[in-house]
Amino acid sequence: MTDIQSPAKAAASQPGGRSALQHLLQGDRPYMLYVAFAIMLIVFSLASPWFLSIDNFLNIGRQTTLVSIIAVGMTFVIISRQIDLSVASTLALSGMSASLAMAFVANSWVVGAVAGLGTGALIGLLNGVLTTRLEIPSFLVTLGTLSGARGLALMVTNTKPVIITNEYYFAIFGEGSVLGIPAPILWTLGVTIAGILLLHYSVYGRRVYAAGGNPTAALYSGVHIKQVTTLAFVLTGTLAGLASLILSARSHAARPDVVQGMELDVIASVILGGCSLFGGRGFVLGTLLGSLIIGTLNNGLVLLGVSSSLQLVIKGAIIVAAVAFTRR
Amino acid sequence: MIEQGSIAPFSGTPLLRVEGVRKRFGGVNALRGVSLEIRAGEVHALLGENGAGKSTLIKILSGVHVHDGGSIEIDGKPVSFSSPAQSRDAGVAVVYQDLSLVESLSVADNLLLGREPKTRLGFLKKRQLVAQAEAFLKSQNIPLDARAMVGSLPFAYRQMTEIAKALMGDVRLLILDEPTSALTDDEEKILFEAIRAVAARGVGVIYVTHRLNEVFRISNRVTVFRDGQNAGTFFTAQTNMRQLVGAIVGPDHAVLKADGDAPGQDTASSAGSSEKPVLELKGVSNDRLDGASLELRAGEIHGLAGLIGSGRTEILQTIFGLRSVQSGEASLDGVSLKGTDPAAAIGLGIALVPEDRHVQGLVLEHSIERNLTLPRLPYFSRLGWLQRRPASEHANAAMRRLAVKAPSASTMVKNLSGGNQQKVVFGKWNEPRPRVLLLDEPTVGVDVGAREEIYGVIRAAAAAGSGVLLVSSDLSELLQLCDRISIVVDGRITRTVARPDFCSAEDLHHLIQLSQPSEEHAA
Repeated sequence: MTDIQSPAKAAASQPGGRSALQHLLQGDRPYMLYVAFAIMLIVFSLASPWFLSIDNFLNIGRQTTLVSIIAVGMTFVIISRQIDLSVASTLALSGMSASLAMAFVANSWVVGAVAGLGTGALIGLLNGVLTTRLEIPSFLVTLGTLSGARGLALMVTNTKPVIITNEYYFAIFGEGSVLGIPAPILWTLGVTIAGILLLHYSVYGRRVYAAGGNPTAALYSGVHIKQVTTLAFVLTGTLAGLASLILSARSHAARPDVVQGMELDVIASVILGGCSLFGGRGFVLGTLLGSLIIGTLNNGLVLLGVSSSLQLVIKGAIIVAAVAFTRR
Repeated sequence: MIEQGSIAPFSGTPLLRVEGVRKRFGGVNALRGVSLEIRAGEVHALLGENGAGKSTLIKILSGVHVHDGGSIEIDGKPVSFSSPAQSRDAGVAVVYQDLSLVESLSVADNLLLGREPKTRLGFLKKRQLVAQAEAFLKSQNIPLDARAMVGSLPFAYRQMTEIAKALMGDVRLLILDEPTSALTDDEEKILFEAIRAVAARGVGVIYVTHRLNEVFRISNRVTVFRDGQNAGTFFTAQTNMRQLVGAIVGPDHAVLKADGDAPGQDTASSAGSSEKPVLELKGVSNDRLDGASLELRAGEIHGLAGLIGSGRTEILQTIFGLRSVQSGEASLDGVSLKGTDPAAAIGLGIALVPEDRHVQGLVLEHSIERNLTLPRLPYFSRLGWLQRRPASEHANAAMRRLAVKAPSASTMVKNLSGGNQQKVVFGKWNEPRPRVLLLDEPTVGVDVGAREEIYGVIRAAAAAGSGVLLVSSDLSELLQLCDRISIVVDGRITRTVARPDFCSAEDLHHLIQLSQPSEEHAA
């Protein structure tokens, strides 16, 4: 699985080919994202004296953590030709579930983590099963769970937040750091690496590409499309659960009304990162870059003192322009 | 039931006169000077094998292609169409097999799509739209409800809507390209009546078909093409099936050429009848099969011949687990195939090269390597992790063995030619050798050179011990490759013949046509 060199060499000796490493780094659009990211860094560095600093970059990393982590799962969902609109609601409900478990079951970070991740995974499973077994389009299924999960999250405490008091929980998911790198950024890196391994180096990853690239051909090749698709939803739900742990550890509480509308940032990151909404194409590193580009854009505009209303307009315009420019 | 609508007096100018029309595509002579004459008010059937030039002529008449030589006259005036719009203006309308209707709209909406009556503000005049459509249908004697939703109509009525749509405007010549391939007998009757009504109004109808039975039921005259040339024009009432089959397959096919390397001969003898079959179907039924029974021996190439829609493809799909076995028994090496899905079938050693490689066979936007390894991913993995070296070695070896012409295994499949794409589909199943290789129209859209190479691959698979089940509409392909051929009619196998009993395409054509249930005009 670490044998990256041999195909790379094979491709080098055969003109016209693209190696596995190239695919891993660039997806289907050579270096475009890197160039876009670099241009953005240069522009903001010139325009704002505060932009170019390690503190600011750690800041960007922390701010984009939630979107980046969930977007890794969304990459699998979108490559397999589906969509998941429920991730923000799943995050909210998972956070409630984790904090309530620690409040009423046992005040242990393990209990909280299991409850949070498990809730996310269950909602993902529900999305996957409804989509593949009842053959309802995932857009509609997850539109339903978007509403349902948020409603449940608001119902369990009658819209009140739940305070968390577990210090280990704070350290592991929110405030700890290793070698000066904050825990949320470490989680982002870990999830991204795991996502890369799973998508680009595992049998499952190949099947995700095939299921989205041409479901009929995949079926005729013996791929269990329903299982493959369902697993992608479970993965995304679980990562939304992980994001809820990080968010609630940072704020020492879980709130049922958090991150409304975040699914749009997640989907925008994935598409900006090179996934095709028609399935079969995309790469994890691209998704991370997409998320960082959106996060950097937010950060840079704030530093430039652009009003928050205008920020939204600029962000929307840049996303549409970037996708239009880089598509195909 | 044959003579409907009499032929206009011979004396007048024909509606359409095609004289010595030629057309080349690159090095291929698609038409080498064909002639055709259509009179007003007649239904004229056009017959010929795949590649005989029927569709090329139709594309010339409809303005898709321009002919290289010869002349085309409509009402005695020479014409040459450089666009479909010109052909349309000259009164030519074509109805293709694939319907181009909006299913969620009514018949009237479809007929007047794009030219709806509307008010000055752009609002739709609904009542007027329905009234216009109804008046038109009445004037054409087409029994359709203008208000009916197209999606809710049986297939024959959709086809009729399509014909009605083609007839909007001033149509002199109506061309129907295999309109009945998906129709039941009753539906066919309804459609034929509508066609006769159209012809009775003085429209000339060209009716392209593969089904000889239909020719006797609907047409006044028949023209047969073979290899881009005329092979005869007959009055339907004065000809018979044997004569038509002879014209379609031609004299060279009368006896299978004693190709020294006539395939199968040796394999046929090696696959002695005493051997136990590798695959066995006993009275298998489901939604599309009706008690199909079949024995496939190891090392045998076994053809399935029949008309499109007869259930040939469905037999393969059932064996591969894409359709369930509802009753009867299907087994591979004695292991029941009941309840298998494609993944389980692959595990048992069954491989399928499907009919439509773009839709069913390949992920076009992925590399050759990804496509080649997809069905066998577990072979190239350890604990779920892909082993890249074995996978790429496998892909390179398969490409070499099948002579796939591409820069590398990472070339995107959609950039390959049809023949090379089909070799990739074969490559998916080449190694390890499957027990049973199911092939559905394996050389459609493949050029001649690649076709020979693919034949080589098929023979090699049989020689290595795979049982090969081959569905093909190309009779000469079945003749060249098969040790035995089974005739499929309505989801059942009506006959199985072995090598000595079929030696010409004519024999085979007869077997297929004579097995049709509604056969009435056998010579």
